[in-house]
Amino acid sequence: MASVPPPSAARLYRANRFVSLPAELDPDTYDTSPEKRRAEAERLAIRSRLKRQYLLQLNNPSPPAVIEDPALLRWAYAKSQNVYPTFRPTPKTSFLGAAYALGPLVFWIFVLKADRDCKEKRIQEGKYKRPFSVFF
Amino acid sequence: SEMSADMLPGPYPRTPEERAAAAKKYNMRVEDYQPYPDDGMGYGDYPMLPDKSHYERDPWYQWDQPDMRHNWGEPMHWQFDMYTRNRADTSPTVVPWHTMSKHFFIFLGTMLVMFGLGTIYPSYMPVGPKQYPFDDLYLEKGGDPSKKPPPVIHYEI
Repeated sequence: MASVPPPSAARLYRANRFVSLPAELDPDTYDTSPEKRRAEAERLAIRSRLKRQYLLQLNNPSPPAVIEDPALLRWAYAKSQNVYPTFRPTPKTSFLGAAYALGPLVFWIFVLKADRDCKEKRIQEGKYKRPFSVFF
Repeated sequence: SEMSADMLPGPYPRTPEERAAAAKKYNMRVEDYQPYPDDGMGYGDYPMLPDKSHYERDPWYQWDQPDMRHNWGEPMHWQFDMYTRNRADTSPTVVPWHTMSKHFFIFLGTMLVMFGLGTIYPSYMPVGPKQYPFDDLYLEKGGDPSKKPPPVIHYEI
């Protein structure tokens, strides 16, 4: 009967969305295959082209007032104006919309009403001392 | 801005050609490009980048924008304003997260339980009322000096 090998250090570390895996435990660090090298070379080629465009604008003798970053513009557009066209009512989005929009409203309605009813009951029974009196 | 509509983010890519065009638009490799899942939450074709904060980016590399550790034209994370170096930090910790949280919550829970028990069942050395001299401080407490103070005996034989 083959025994299960002990869990790897990366598995023991249990990276989640608050911490990421250290590079020493990540098997990708020790991967030196040609595919990885080709991928890195392609990324570097993209990076070099972008850097060339950026430096051409930066070292221009009459540079533009602001060097616009298309990535920043795309990010701003995606977060502000691309949300409504790409939104689609699904069970998940409908539930989340109800929870975030109606939930707090209904909750506070009930809490404040209950609080007022309790105070009214205490006033009727005569147990409530009114604060902020203008008479001594 | 002067960007044409095909340079701006659009709807979720359905065909492989749309995916390739979107990857080219965002300056990414086609294999790297991975959009958010299409569940109508409003992401569109924006790429899903790994959730790593800017603390983890190489401090010694010559970034185009060194304070943001960001290069010109590099696709930004959807929540990049959370991952800047003023805010959330996802750097790997020396101790794993689950160990740290276990230590913390066990300690906190134990201390809270002990304090709660100590409030419900207080325990202290038995004490008696304090004994003052000069007939239980008769003059200091405003007693009449012309009258004789009542005798106070604090002992039993």
